Amino acid sequence: MTCFRKAVAALMLFMMAGCTSNLDLYRDGNMDFGAVHNVAIMPLANLTRESPAADRVRDIFASMLLATGGVYVIPPGEVARGISRAGISNPATPSTEELVKMAGIIKADAIITGTIREYGEVRSGTASANVISLSFSMLEAQTGKAVWSASTTRGGIGIFERLFGGGGEPMNDITEKAVDDVIKKLFQ
Amino acid sequence: MTSSRSFFSRGTVILLIGLSNLAGCAPSRTVFAGDAAAAAGSAVVAVLPVDNLSGGTAPLKVLRQELIDRLKENGTTVLPDAELDTFMSRHRVRYVGGVDRGTSEAFRSETGASAVLVTSLELYNESFPPRIALTARLVATGGDPRIIRMESTAMAGDDRPGILGLGLVRDPRVLRAKAVNRLADALTGRDAGTGEGTTMRPESLYRSRVLDPARRYSVAVMPFHNTSDRKHAGEILALHFIRELTRFGMFDVIEPGVVRDDLLRYRIIMEDGVSMADAEVMFKMLQADFLLSGNVNDFEDRQGSSGAPKVDFSAQLLEQKSRKVAWGMDSRHTGDDRTWFFDVGKVNTASGLAAATVRGAIESFGK
Repeated sequence: MTCFRKAVAALMLFMMAGCTSNLDLYRDGNMDFGAVHNVAIMPLANLTRESPAADRVRDIFASMLLATGGVYVIPPGEVARGISRAGISNPATPSTEELVKMAGIIKADAIITGTIREYGEVRSGTASANVISLSFSMLEAQTGKAVWSASTTRGGIGIFERLFGGGGEPMNDITEKAVDDVIKKLFQ
Repeated sequence: MTSSRSFFSRGTVILLIGLSNLAGCAPSRTVFAGDAAAAAGSAVVAVLPVDNLSGGTAPLKVLRQELIDRLKENGTTVLPDAELDTFMSRHRVRYVGGVDRGTSEAFRSETGASAVLVTSLELYNESFPPRIALTARLVATGGDPRIIRMESTAMAGDDRPGILGLGLVRDPRVLRAKAVNRLADALTGRDAGTGEGTTMRPESLYRSRVLDPARRYSVAVMPFHNTSDRKHAGEILALHFIRELTRFGMFDVIEPGVVRDDLLRYRIIMEDGVSMADAEVMFKMLQADFLLSGNVNDFEDRQGSSGAPKVDFSAQLLEQKSRKVAWGMDSRHTGDDRTWFFDVGKVNTASGLAAATVRGAIESFGK
């Protein structure tokens, strides 16, 4: 009997270990996301060595977000005008004042900022594969407060790449998967 | 004498020939037949110097002369060079990638030409395999310079390698002549084969309900914002959209020369795409229902005979009434995306790939 109790306690502890919160997603519980109709996507911060990565991912994210029909994405040219008119020196990381000012100019309900953390090929020993790691935040236009944040990583070296090589999935495919993952996290 | 059952039976030989033919793919070609009455027939056509968008050196004068020769062979009356030169120097016409309203009117009244042929060279490479991509449009002269016919062709020497490489074109002059002849034949309506070519669907697509398939809309295509390494990729993508929109039949596309003239006149510089302020001015000046703009992320031709071209771009259609995006798309493709068996379905030039992807995107209007 004692043995049985110990086994149950061990099983419960094991199961509790899996009950962690989702650490790559934040949603403001008080925010009415239904009120967000127009969003502007700022140029993304690029922490990788691939200089076109930020523009490419921003373009894919804007098109895929618009294609959902859930929100209207303000065209990049209009966002550029807003950045210029608001005098934002670093568009990837705007200050709250700059952000509120810009949102007023281009009539955005929310502003999305983002960072590309990894983009391109990674190597481990003889194995190599493409990887993308990115994060996005949505900032409410009137207050500049972060109301949503999500990050994702796709690709990378798995068992298949270690055993058989092959270089992993194409960059385009994993970029689409990563962006799709972020959009799902936005609408979930 | 060997028996009828030789090492290769007749069936095997036919199969092998069939497979070798399959290994080559048809070169990308698009043909649009617009206003047949105004097309180059007996009318006088002014052939402008070739606009070089290839980013490299090319025998532009030879190309133009070959195009003129073929047009003449097909029965087109071409405005003499001396007369064209005099006209161009009198009006200080330096831009040859389009025709603005003033120049168009002057062409009609001073030279009697009823159409202007604007030719753009998108790709020219003489090293093996040679490659060439050309786009040409006939623009009516007079007060309303509208596009009456637009054609394009993109070819590579290894489009149809055939069995043992017998179908390879190694001489760039042969390929050039082939491309020019095809373009001229299509422009003059002599080429009856109006094949649609390869179509590639966009990765993501957005369409609002404002587009009524029963209506005709006027659309101005703005030069695309180019973030790729390839020079003039923005203009090339814009040309592909113009051709496909014209071909689609739902849109009256404003001549790019007119759009460029208005952009210069109002000193509109689009650093990162079209802003609403710019769009307001353009809608007012061009009386357009839509403005098409976009971004080119990648426009890369293969180096040498290996590899595949790569094209990555997005486009948006801004509506005049709502000032909102009515249609948007995003596309990323490589030339071997549809290659499963030998080189069947391979697209060998970035221009051919762009044509296929733009065609796929524009076809979404009809669905």
